[in-house]
Amino acid sequence: MTSWPPLLVLFVLTPLVGAVLTPAVSDTSGRRSWEWALGTMLLTSAMAGALIMRVLDEGPFSYVVGGWVAPYGIELRFDEFSAFVAVVCLLGLLAVIFSRHYARDALAPGRIPYYYTLLLLNMTGMIGFIVTGDLFNLYVFMEILSLSAYALVAISGEKTAEMAAFKYLVMGAVSSLSILFGVGLLYALTGSLNMADVTGRLAGSAEAPLVLAFAALTLGFMVKSALFPLHIWLPDAHAIAPSPVSAVLSGLVVKVGILGMLRVYQIAYGSGAIDLSGLNLMLTWLGAISIVMGAFFAVFQDDIKMMLAYSTISNIGYIVMGLGLASPYSLIGASVHVFNHALIKATLFLGAGALIHQTGRRTLTGLAGVGRSMPLTTAAVSIGAISIVGIPPTAGFLCKWYIALGAMQAEEPLFAVALVFGALLIFVYYIRMVNAFYFRKPQEAGAPAVHEAPATMLVPVLILAALCLVMGVLGRLPLSFIEPAVTRLLAPLGGG
Amino acid sequence: MIDLLWDNLDYAASMVLFCIGLYAVITRNNLIKKFMGLNIMETAIFAFIVALGVVDGGNAPIMGEGAAKPFINPLPQALILTGIVVAVSTTALALSLVIRIWRQCGTIEADELREAE
Repeated sequence: MTSWPPLLVLFVLTPLVGAVLTPAVSDTSGRRSWEWALGTMLLTSAMAGALIMRVLDEGPFSYVVGGWVAPYGIELRFDEFSAFVAVVCLLGLLAVIFSRHYARDALAPGRIPYYYTLLLLNMTGMIGFIVTGDLFNLYVFMEILSLSAYALVAISGEKTAEMAAFKYLVMGAVSSLSILFGVGLLYALTGSLNMADVTGRLAGSAEAPLVLAFAALTLGFMVKSALFPLHIWLPDAHAIAPSPVSAVLSGLVVKVGILGMLRVYQIAYGSGAIDLSGLNLMLTWLGAISIVMGAFFAVFQDDIKMMLAYSTISNIGYIVMGLGLASPYSLIGASVHVFNHALIKATLFLGAGALIHQTGRRTLTGLAGVGRSMPLTTAAVSIGAISIVGIPPTAGFLCKWYIALGAMQAEEPLFAVALVFGALLIFVYYIRMVNAFYFRKPQEAGAPAVHEAPATMLVPVLILAALCLVMGVLGRLPLSFIEPAVTRLLAPLGGG
Repeated sequence: MIDLLWDNLDYAASMVLFCIGLYAVITRNNLIKKFMGLNIMETAIFAFIVALGVVDGGNAPIMGEGAAKPFINPLPQALILTGIVVAVSTTALALSLVIRIWRQCGTIEADELREAE
């Protein structure tokens, strides 16, 4: 079963077909569309499991779509970095489960089937982006992903949501064009769109267009991942979107930029046609600035989701800094943080969503003392907070530790200092949050009695919080899983 | 320098078009105009990629009578067809957002909207 070839292409098609059919199967209550989306995500997740088992067994493998061999046709490729689909499917599944009560209360009934359609389309784009081996295909899946994300931000129909979606759309469309331009240039230089083929043919190309191509790709992916000077679209979009969407956007969609960068690095390092040390230096600095600025802005937020959104910018900074340092340890740390941050941020956003749904308040002052009435949710959010600061027995610690080790390995101890400083700032604002939850008195005496969220909301949050702990304890697992991919990536540089 | 520019006039033109579009996106306050700027940028990139496939004196790569080498590379055109579909969907989504913003706020000038927030 695990080595059945068409599984890879079915893996991309299942959520796509599921998405298109959702409005057709739904009824007026939205219940049927929820069941349909849930079934689709379960099937997709099972496929992801089978594919990851196969990559563990035999290393990277690919599937030729329609029987057209690699440089001519589209190739789907699954390697260790593609294992990110595990988190994609898990978060997608939990977001769908979480949405059952949330969507019914937050959205107009007519919009619920389309909400699930967009969510599944978003998953399709994400999965396709991760497994494709073709540059233009990469762009197309990225657009499926982005368009569904813009619409998901606006779906609640509030005034500010539509503004945020428009801002996101303009920034996103410009960055997509930049990426398309880079893809076009690479095609002009090599006459091929297959990533492996492009890598092989790039050597000896003229330098100026090559630099321009990589600059355009990097710029586009930097906007997609909201690196510091280009982050302005993120806080509004992520804070205003419905909470399950925020979890998906913050956990997965911004990672598209990072995964895209990893693909660019695979091409650049593999071909050896271009020296990326200047780009690496820039990414390291921008990463460090992102860490500090993201954390700095987050300290001053009173809106809990706004705070989480700024914290995403900070964490993207960690990942980009890890990529920029380009030493084995920092790359391993960065790749694993892509996984772990997705889990942690989803815990926090879904947890915050449950708190907001039950209390109707979204500021720290308004949520004061909520730890007494909703102990389980608050405990889960606190675990998420501890993880994101990077306190040892949790998921956040190992990645940050590895990135810091990587900074030492690259003989840039200054960046390790930036990392620790950023972690301290993050600590400050999460302490504020935990303090508000547990140690402050509820503000209004006459507030209605609040009780725990329904099971469909509570269970996903608790599963994610448990995973934050498990990934901290079993941290070696993802580290040793990603190591061969990183070694292969850095091999052309002479072992890093 | 002038010769180089003249030989690559198509590329230079799409670069100029791209910059005009970017300028509009950044400076215009009206959301529709902002989006028109984006459409100009899209056109510039599409024209650039289609121009990549052009061969001087080339024929359309269609089988049958009169098919003679050299052929124009059809792949960029096929790619851009997909690109245009993406651009149309983006435009449709953006325009529907603009309509809803106008209904709710009564304005689509970015600076007035910022004040309204």
